[in-house]
Amino acid sequence: MEPILSVKNLSTWFYMEEGVVKAVNDVNLELHENEVVGIVGETGSGKSVTVRSIMRLIHKPGKIVSGKVIYRGRGKEEDILSLPEDEMTSIRGKEISMVFQDPLTSLNPLYTIGDQLTETIIQHQDVDRKTAWEIGIEMLKKVQIPEAEKRMMSYPFEFSGGMRQRAVIAIALSCNPKVLIADEPTTALDVTIQAQILDLMKELQKEFKTGMLFITHDLGVIASMADKIIVMYGSRQMEVASAEDIFYRPLHPYTHMLLRAIPRLDKKQDKLEAIPGQPPRMIEVPNVCPFAPRCPRRLDKCTKELPELVEIEPEHFVRCFNPVLETKNSEAIPNE
Amino acid sequence: MNEPVIRVQNLKKFFPITKGFLVKKKVGDVKAVDDVSFEVYKKETFALVGESGCGKTTTARTMLRLIDPTDGKIEIFGKDISHLNREKLLPFRRKMQIVFQNPIGSLNPRMTIGQILIEPLLFHKIVDTKQEAYDKAIELLRMVGLKPYHMDRYPHQFSGGQKQRIAIARALSVDPEIIFLDEPTSALDVSVQAQIINLFMKFQDELNLTYIFISHDLSLVRFISDKVAVMYLGRIVEIGDVDEIFENPIHPYTKALLSASPIPDPKIEKQRKRIILTGSVPSPIARPSGCFFHPRCPFKTEKCEKEYPNMYKVSENHQVSCYLVEKEGV
Repeated sequence: MEPILSVKNLSTWFYMEEGVVKAVNDVNLELHENEVVGIVGETGSGKSVTVRSIMRLIHKPGKIVSGKVIYRGRGKEEDILSLPEDEMTSIRGKEISMVFQDPLTSLNPLYTIGDQLTETIIQHQDVDRKTAWEIGIEMLKKVQIPEAEKRMMSYPFEFSGGMRQRAVIAIALSCNPKVLIADEPTTALDVTIQAQILDLMKELQKEFKTGMLFITHDLGVIASMADKIIVMYGSRQMEVASAEDIFYRPLHPYTHMLLRAIPRLDKKQDKLEAIPGQPPRMIEVPNVCPFAPRCPRRLDKCTKELPELVEIEPEHFVRCFNPVLETKNSEAIPNE
Repeated sequence: MNEPVIRVQNLKKFFPITKGFLVKKKVGDVKAVDDVSFEVYKKETFALVGESGCGKTTTARTMLRLIDPTDGKIEIFGKDISHLNREKLLPFRRKMQIVFQNPIGSLNPRMTIGQILIEPLLFHKIVDTKQEAYDKAIELLRMVGLKPYHMDRYPHQFSGGQKQRIAIARALSVDPEIIFLDEPTSALDVSVQAQIINLFMKFQDELNLTYIFISHDLSLVRFISDKVAVMYLGRIVEIGDVDEIFENPIHPYTKALLSASPIPDPKIEKQRKRIILTGSVPSPIARPSGCFFHPRCPFKTEKCEKEYPNMYKVSENHQVSCYLVEKEGV
């Protein structure tokens, strides 16, 4: 089946006084219906800018310098990046919606939850206010907010952090979008609340068969959510594979080391294997492998040219001249 | 067994809630820390864990006397410091240092790294001359993996991980014996977090340091600490040996916390049974009756709504405040 969303050769750069920050370079991804694609990466790896580019939420000094975002949800192929802005407003929230990290800033403090829910519904669906209000109540029930009728009248400040994120999810799903983009949706929440929200998102994603792009820096969270994972580092995709392959057979040295650098709840470990060095600076980056300065498997070639993202194994893409091919299954995860 | 380095007894910290504009009237208390007791031994890492608002940071700050306790005792090396004045507190301040979560906020942006490191050395009279202080500061930078030429730079010229290294160097400068680590890596990326954690482990080994580690990341707590206290609404609900508590948690809240923490392993994640708690943490102003956890607890009984459970001893190194222990007869 054709993917519902395809991103092709997307590059987004920021033209700063200090120089050009190439935040996203040559990103390709595909998202199918009822599929969860996770994007993991550290601060500045370009994961957020990638999804904001898809939604066309890049403002000056940022610019989408190249690429296509093909959306197939309306019965035809459309390049989102070349649509006029007013056409775009009928896609945002209706076809593709987004949940951000901090629910307090994505909700308007001056309007009730009900107002904000119905606003979206009226904007995109051909219904009157009364019906919209009822749909709103239904949505709040779906995200398990107790006393939904009463809660429609509450303001965001009257909600706890977890409840706010539930309300944001209700708004995002109110028009039954085909694609949901979640940008670190649980990073601001406590673990027990995070577990509630992740559970809810998984459930709703299955129910609505939404294609979901899930962004996080937390490898534990992505393990529970994603079918497919994209590992980003220094504005590029380093490895793309199924969740199982990423965790049990990581081929890129970065992914490989990253998995050994995180402590585990279920195991007693003696040592964390730290990745030496610092994350890359983003200005005036040479066109070579961004991980090369920190990589123990570096070859001479690595500091001279940029490796391509190649399919080393079926459905397993790696951008590296010297991938960790000899890994045995048992080695991939630190043993007890 | 040797004497504990730190002994906290029935520590309380209440913040008054006042009403009125000109005439302020006290109308209640936020009981941030309520009757907390524990002991920490030399070279141990003692972790305080819990969700936001559980009182873990307030406990640590009160122990450091950054805020004054409402009641209770804080014994450091056998001496109660809970009512010492500023002057008498100084030698203890030197022995107890802290590394904060946010290195941007804890380093003065107008001071060079050299000045930041030299000031405490001279203030606490660790060295006599400025030259000695300078030499020691360079030595400290080397210890944390930075270079002598970093001395003349300003904090903004460093990355997050490097800033945290500077904060560690400053904490180590006065030869402390106890270091409080308040979420020291939560502002850092995973790949850098491991570097900093390994640095802490190395110094503990070399310098015989005792750590109080505050974190909400249970995986990290398991890795770094020897003992752990789980806090909920100002009280310790379960305390003891880390491995024992993580493998055999008894309090439903500890169980829920552990089951909610994600594990970076898709197969395990798919098979795990989560205890999903309903609702969120109640306000510390109006705490529930009986056991504070009972409104969210899947195993609550009638008794839980009436009386706060005592601490029960499960084993030599494991205590829990929950009626379930009685029932299960552990």
